[in-house]
Amino acid sequence: MSAGTKTTEAESLADRIAKEVERTIARSIKGVEYIASPAPTMGATPKDLVLKDGTLNLYHYHPLSSEIYRVPLLMVMATTNKGYVLDLTPGQSLVEFLLRSGYDVYMIDWSPPRPDEKKLRFADYTARFIPDCVKVVKERSEQDEVSLLGYCMGGVLSSVYTASHPDDGVKNLVCFTTPVDFSQMTLFQKWADRRFFDVDRLVDASGNVPSELLFQGFQMLRPASQVAGQASLWDNMWNDDYVKSYRMFDRWGADMLPLAGEYFRETTKKLMWENGLLHGTLEVGGRRVDLRNITAPLLHVVAEHDHIVPRDASKPLIELVGSADKEEVVLKGGHISVAAGANASKRMWPKLDAWLSTRSL
Amino acid sequence: MPDNAPVDPFAAWRDIVSQWEKSVNSLANREMASDQFSGSMNQMMNVMLRAQQSVGDAMIKYLAALNLPSRADLVALGEQLGSIESQLSRIAVAIERQAAQSAAAQPAASPSSSPPPMSPARRSPPRTKRPPPPPAHS
Repeated sequence: MSAGTKTTEAESLADRIAKEVERTIARSIKGVEYIASPAPTMGATPKDLVLKDGTLNLYHYHPLSSEIYRVPLLMVMATTNKGYVLDLTPGQSLVEFLLRSGYDVYMIDWSPPRPDEKKLRFADYTARFIPDCVKVVKERSEQDEVSLLGYCMGGVLSSVYTASHPDDGVKNLVCFTTPVDFSQMTLFQKWADRRFFDVDRLVDASGNVPSELLFQGFQMLRPASQVAGQASLWDNMWNDDYVKSYRMFDRWGADMLPLAGEYFRETTKKLMWENGLLHGTLEVGGRRVDLRNITAPLLHVVAEHDHIVPRDASKPLIELVGSADKEEVVLKGGHISVAAGANASKRMWPKLDAWLSTRSL
Repeated sequence: MPDNAPVDPFAAWRDIVSQWEKSVNSLANREMASDQFSGSMNQMMNVMLRAQQSVGDAMIKYLAALNLPSRADLVALGEQLGSIESQLSRIAVAIERQAAQSAAAQPAASPSSSPPPMSPARRSPPRTKRPPPPPAHS
């Protein structure tokens, strides 16, 4: 090694240390700002509440395009989380992207169920809430067809609804990270093991299942990630974009919803224990749910590194549906980042648009 | 990275944190997938639920002795108020919708079992959008 190279390396290391010192100062200043500043505004894309029925909220987003596709799009959010993950902030919002691409977008978003809504069953979601919303969307758009897009459990609800209401005019079905084989959700399966987990006692004692319990369950899937995330936050405190993104996802992750007691009881027994959706034994409102009854074009977007819905749990959906036109896309990312992360705008959103646009005419 | 590149202590620290996270998650996941863990966790939850139930029962008796309403009483009252509020809201929207329809001299909408929409439909752009043509390949 020459003397010149050594000098360059020493300078490089000195530059690196100087940069770290600058960053440490920036971290300290921005760390104080972080504590003092309010949380970023999320879910701010203009919208109207067009239907409210207890825990159910149906929103209609204001169009952002001079002309729109004929078929409106109804998004169904997971029952455990708030829908603003799909509308985080301008520039990082799937909803905004779809509106700008020319879609007429509605969203089913959930509020915490009231104490009297502890009796809501699975059928209330798939045979009452979703059909009511589809009806309102059709009326408002004066169209007889609707595309459905379900995220996680929203995908399960959308699939069950589409399979059990084949004549309701579902033009297209899009599912994000939707579990079908619940035996493959290994940790949840273990924790909900019927030998140990007394779901009846939990629901009878608590009414609606508290969000804290659900939050802890999700946190336990990756127990070290919160600490590592905070270390990474401190490391990146100088980076405004990183801090903003961290705060948005951190707030959304902690902003979980309680679950209606009976709905939770049914989900545990019929999906986790009996694996009824996979085996075709699930009965909702007295009707057996057969995914083969889904004949609408289907797009299933799954994440390569999904720690909540592992690949094996979501894989069977594409095989089980009766649609002739069906496609599964496996993308880099995790359960949330695949739909809402910084790279989703480059990977998943264009793919979704390319698939849906030709089928929304 | 070339072999003679200087050691970056900051990158090394980040790598250590990342490795620690992976190892702890992996180890914890293995432990938590055991029957023993599941049994203990659920046993603990059952104990907590039983304790919660006992405290709740005792509190109800205590409040009744003091002639005060319990949480359940207040929740029931809240439910009734919520139900009244919801009915009023539906009636108000239905009246507004009917008034708008009468004003527009349109035939009344068919009776619906679903709750009426909260907000009237806004004028939407024409539904004439077509997908952009695929990029031409050279």
